[in-house]
Amino acid sequence: MNNNNEENILQVQHLQKKYGDHTVLKDISFNINKGEVMTIIGPSGGGKSTMLRCINLLEEPSNGKILFHGENILDPHFNRNTFRSKVGMVFQQFNLFNNKNVLQNCMIGQEMVLGRSKEEAKKVAIENLQKVGMDPFLTAKPQQLSGGQQQRVAIARAISMDPEVLLFDEPTSALDPEMVGEVLNTMQLLAKTGLTMVIVTHEMGFARDVSDQVVFMSDGVITEQGTPQQIFNDPQEEKTKKFLRNFRNNEL
Amino acid sequence: MKSKIRWFSALLALILSLVIGFSFNSNQTQAAKKEAPLKIGMEANYPPYNWTQTTDKNGAVPIDGSKQYANGYDVQIAKIIGKKLHRKVVVEKTEWDGLLPALTSGKIDLIIAGMSPTAERRKAINFSKPYRKSTFVVITSRNGKFAQAKGLNDFKGAKLTAQQGTLHYDLIKQLHGAKREPAMRSFSAMRQSLQSGTIDGYVAEDIEYKSYKTVNPNIVAVNLNKMQGFKVDHDDSITSIGVKKGNTELLNQVNSILNGISNKKRDQLMADAVKEQPQAGGNKKENWFMSIMHRYGSMILGGVGMTLLLALVGTIVGFFIGLLVGIVRTIPTPKSAGKKWGLKIVDWILAVYIEVFRGTPMMVQAAVIYYGIAQLWHLNLNRTVAALVIVSINTGAYLAEVIRGGINATPKGQFEAASAIGMTHSQQMWHIILPQAIRNCLPSITNEFIVNIKDTSVLSIISVSELFFVGTTVASQTFQFFQTYFIISMIYLILTFSITRIFNFIEKKLEGPKNYNLMANQLQVEDPKETGFEHEQ
Ligand SMILES: Nc1ncnc2c1ncn2[C@@H]1O[C@H](COP(=O)(O)OP(=O)(O)O)[C@@H](O)[C@H]1O
Ligand SMILES: [Mg+2]
Repeated sequence: MNNNNEENILQVQHLQKKYGDHTVLKDISFNINKGEVMTIIGPSGGGKSTMLRCINLLEEPSNGKILFHGENILDPHFNRNTFRSKVGMVFQQFNLFNNKNVLQNCMIGQEMVLGRSKEEAKKVAIENLQKVGMDPFLTAKPQQLSGGQQQRVAIARAISMDPEVLLFDEPTSALDPEMVGEVLNTMQLLAKTGLTMVIVTHEMGFARDVSDQVVFMSDGVITEQGTPQQIFNDPQEEKTKKFLRNFRNNEL
Repeated sequence: MKSKIRWFSALLALILSLVIGFSFNSNQTQAAKKEAPLKIGMEANYPPYNWTQTTDKNGAVPIDGSKQYANGYDVQIAKIIGKKLHRKVVVEKTEWDGLLPALTSGKIDLIIAGMSPTAERRKAINFSKPYRKSTFVVITSRNGKFAQAKGLNDFKGAKLTAQQGTLHYDLIKQLHGAKREPAMRSFSAMRQSLQSGTIDGYVAEDIEYKSYKTVNPNIVAVNLNKMQGFKVDHDDSITSIGVKKGNTELLNQVNSILNGISNKKRDQLMADAVKEQPQAGGNKKENWFMSIMHRYGSMILGGVGMTLLLALVGTIVGFFIGLLVGIVRTIPTPKSAGKKWGLKIVDWILAVYIEVFRGTPMMVQAAVIYYGIAQLWHLNLNRTVAALVIVSINTGAYLAEVIRGGINATPKGQFEAASAIGMTHSQQMWHIILPQAIRNCLPSITNEFIVNIKDTSVLSIISVSELFFVGTTVASQTFQFFQTYFIISMIYLILTFSITRIFNFIEKKLEGPKNYNLMANQLQVEDPKETGFEHEQ
């Protein structure tokens, strides 16, 4: 899945995030290449969400640099809204627009941000809803859908923007177990299209199967980083080993 | 943020243009002064001096801004003055407490309202020569303890009252040992209280006795002027016409016209007024409900219309004001220092607006705005427009907080999801947040509408003929207090009840069904060729 001419699409350099005196992210650096799938694992409270939210500027980093195609997104003159339209995000709580139906959820960003016509937006939205298997529910409101269905619509909404990078923050953690599969399948198909993805997840089997890179984060630092093979089969750090031991029995 | 400020200035511009519009109106009336109607202020609720009637019989004069007419001794005097001045007489029906401000602010030309030129009032306005001299009496029951009182000390323990803001009320102090009950707003209320026994009597003029006597023979008048030691200023025992200070031309004209009205003519006019004043009772065959509805049905209906208009327009305009204020107050702090301070100042002004209008009674706001604008800027606001503005601004202050709460209560995830696809703050607000916030605020907005239906009754202070004001007028003419107010309260109840139902229904509709019906809602997608993702590489 890796391109040979590896182009760095996203480079995080010495990222730091503080809430008051509490330093949540200490010194985070990593690179993601175009088309690569990176999963981030680690214990709760380790700063995974915060890191993801810094990348699309839902949180303002306290220090460091984030380069998108080599351009620093923290530069005051950088157009943040355009950047955000190129970096999609799928949330743990889905966050579908409650006042819009399924189709409208997938159209509004295209019309408002990308300036697409209604017809074009609708065409793209329906295509993507077909891909996630939600096309029978075009006029349903989010409240009328199950969690798994909502999350699939959220994915369709995100890819309708034709993003270059898609961020996932524990997309299956709020789901009933029987719905986890449908969402992971959708993501797996998505990974194969060559979309650059950064996924925070506790689904270790999934992480091992789809990732190009795995990052283990705890206490605001990247403790260990490598291929799925290296992290899951041959972890070096004690923290990683301990963390993975909890999963090994039931999942791997 | 820029566009928010633009809306805000648009609102300000709207208000300004309204205000300027009215100032032009007043300029025009100023220019046409010579032919302008002579505007007379009176309660039109104080028979036999002045009262309201529904036809123009017995030479009644139209009441401005209504389909009703005023008549009485004051009206007949006003007509004589108007005729001599070649000016048409119109009556501005005004509450007693509103008469002086109405005159000083130029809303009326003359007060002819059975008013005595007390020293206190002379400070604010000028008075003509008297057009009526009066005797002070205590009106009490024929069979009561105080009917035989001979001296000022014979009222020990008597519960006495008088009309609010009148000299009569001060006179009670001279009746040693009498209990001064809270002053009342109108003579009709005092008559009712005397009849029901909550007071033993009330101080008034002999003319009130004469007029009350015709409808209730069981009363007597105890003459105070003849009692030893009774002191009353000359000014206080006469009634005069109020003229705005500085308007000496009009004052001189009025005085010379009054000189031309003989005592005999005056007594005749008063006797006529006593005879023609509205009578209690009426046709005995009709029950009270039918008789009130028959005589005053259209007036009450007009009151219902005005109340609904005030509540509806007030709530809608107030909603938009509240929306604007709510939006501005939830703009996230901008980065640049200039914008930050600009927003802070606007925010502060809006906070003051909300505090002031939520922290003071609407009745006081109405009085301050209506009379204040007239006095300070000589703008003569139309009463209905003034009422609409007041209700709107007041509702806006309440709804601003409701909507701000609604915006803040919208889940953070909604903002974040909208930000994450690159929507600007204003796109997020208009398309995602506000529709949800407003939907969630709907019960509060309904509630505000209901409150407005009831609370617009306080606007009677500026004499807007809404339902309560109409009720007061009807009650004071029929003397059927309980019956009239019962009808009025039933109407309020029907209004609020049905509006609550209607809004509950709308809310239910908006909520939609809980489950999605796949079969019924499925759209035919034109091109269902292949599902799943294609490889792009
Ligand atoms: N808005 C915030 N204010 C203060 N502390 C926060 C905030 N958001 C997250 N944190 C703290 O940052 C730490 C990392 O949180 P998070 O990024 O959610 O971890 P993870 O996603 O790995 O579970 C936690 O200790 C959390 O309490
Ligand atoms: Mg998290």
